[in-house]
Amino acid sequence: MNALSIDARVDGIAAGRRRARALRFMSTFLILAVVVWSIEAIVIADTDWNRILTGSLLSTMQRFLDLDWSLLPDLWEPALETVLMATLATLAGLVLSIPVAWLGASNITPYGKTSYAIGRFLMTMSRSVHEIVWGLIFVSAVGLGALAGILAMAVRSVGFISKTIAEAIEDVDPKPLEAIRAAGGTKFQILWFAILPQIIPVFVGNMIFEWDINIRRSTILGLVGAGGLGLVLFRQMAMSNNGGIAVVILAVLSLIIFGEVISYYARKAVI
Amino acid sequence: MQTVLEVRNLHAGYADREILKGISFTLNADDFFAIIGPSGAGKSTLIRCVNRLVEPKSGEVIFNGRDMLKLTPAELRGERRNIGMIFQEFNLIERLSVMDNVLTGRLGYTGTFRSIFRLYTKDEIKQALVLLDRVGLGEHIDKRADRLSGGQRQRVGIARALIQNPKLLLVDEPTSSLDPKISREVMGLIREMAREFHIPVLCNIHDVDLACDFCSHVIGLQDGVKKFEGPPAKLDKQALQEIYAMEVL
Repeated sequence: MNALSIDARVDGIAAGRRRARALRFMSTFLILAVVVWSIEAIVIADTDWNRILTGSLLSTMQRFLDLDWSLLPDLWEPALETVLMATLATLAGLVLSIPVAWLGASNITPYGKTSYAIGRFLMTMSRSVHEIVWGLIFVSAVGLGALAGILAMAVRSVGFISKTIAEAIEDVDPKPLEAIRAAGGTKFQILWFAILPQIIPVFVGNMIFEWDINIRRSTILGLVGAGGLGLVLFRQMAMSNNGGIAVVILAVLSLIIFGEVISYYARKAVI
Repeated sequence: MQTVLEVRNLHAGYADREILKGISFTLNADDFFAIIGPSGAGKSTLIRCVNRLVEPKSGEVIFNGRDMLKLTPAELRGERRNIGMIFQEFNLIERLSVMDNVLTGRLGYTGTFRSIFRLYTKDEIKQALVLLDRVGLGEHIDKRADRLSGGQRQRVGIARALIQNPKLLLVDEPTSSLDPKISREVMGLIREMAREFHIPVLCNIHDVDLACDFCSHVIGLQDGVKKFEGPPAKLDKQALQEIYAMEVL
């Protein structure tokens, strides 16, 4: 048993807790110091304060509030196109993600560390290249238009979808896997009957989330000539029609709200 | 003897399904009640109605002279400090040390700001240490909770409940995740501590033998109805059949 008296042990524990607290405090302070320094060095020094303080910010914002509703009838077709592009891109991203997730999930990866590293590398590559850059790459490959945009979004989606699927696979409850293995199931049967049902909720949720991100991406990809609302947006920007830009942004917002509503019911149905 | 808890005509459940259908009983100081019954009888709901982790629909739960069901949220938190709870799956915070887990039992007495910095008083640390020595974990205070065995984890749970200095212990299936030998040790420890600190206990337990061996009084529930109440000696085969008989619909 303990030779030390209870009070001596309490003192020891209290001292240890003080040290741990000091360490937590120091690291928090350090992070805060870096944040303050970054704001000082980058934001405060580099900002044109005169411009903000003279109220031109508000007057600029005001120009966007003069909505140009005449654009609305011409938005239906591009909106539909945007939905179709985002949907196609998300589905293509999903198809590409399945093998990547399979490689990148440490508990089911087929060739140990080698295939795991390949899977993780593919995920990182997809995520670390911006969708505009993917867009430019695919424009030079397949030419201007919706196809380049869809391919760019699909490839860019792989990073997120495969990473979340792989992590969901790594977090599955191993007990059902044991049961299928004990029943003499093959590796594929384990995947199909024990892993897949467990990851479906995460999977559906993330697919819908990625679909909604892709709707927003497709508007940016108008820049590389991909169709849909993005193209309309960039045309309005080229014409400096602020009211029109605001209307297109509102259209994108309503599409995403529409997606949220769908996702609420889809998740409820699956989970 | 002094009455600590009185439950009167307690109803609980959802709109379409009634879980408790009018339960009444009285728990006195130094009582060790076992609630037995088949799965789904409402055992867990019953003890959770006492500290309102589950909101009952109607009835009275008189604890400490006040009706728990009429308390405001702040008053309820104050009263929950006086009720220690021990859980089936231990409900420890896996990433915290044994010591920090036990000290979470003091959170009801610690302000939000102090708790963020884990500023517990020296007296609280001392009490935690004394309790951990008593439950046999004096050597493991710095270990993370997830590195302990099941029996050790439940001992942490017991120390966490006792550091509240509770006037009542609610115990929800303390042994379901443990093997038979450890189960008896844990039940023995709970009884020993309850006697030492004079805390009455309300304990859900599906194992009838354990209930009879460790508890002073048994309540038998079936489908939300109290089918039996009395000392373990009175719990004969017929009474058990009554409690565990499943209605065939």
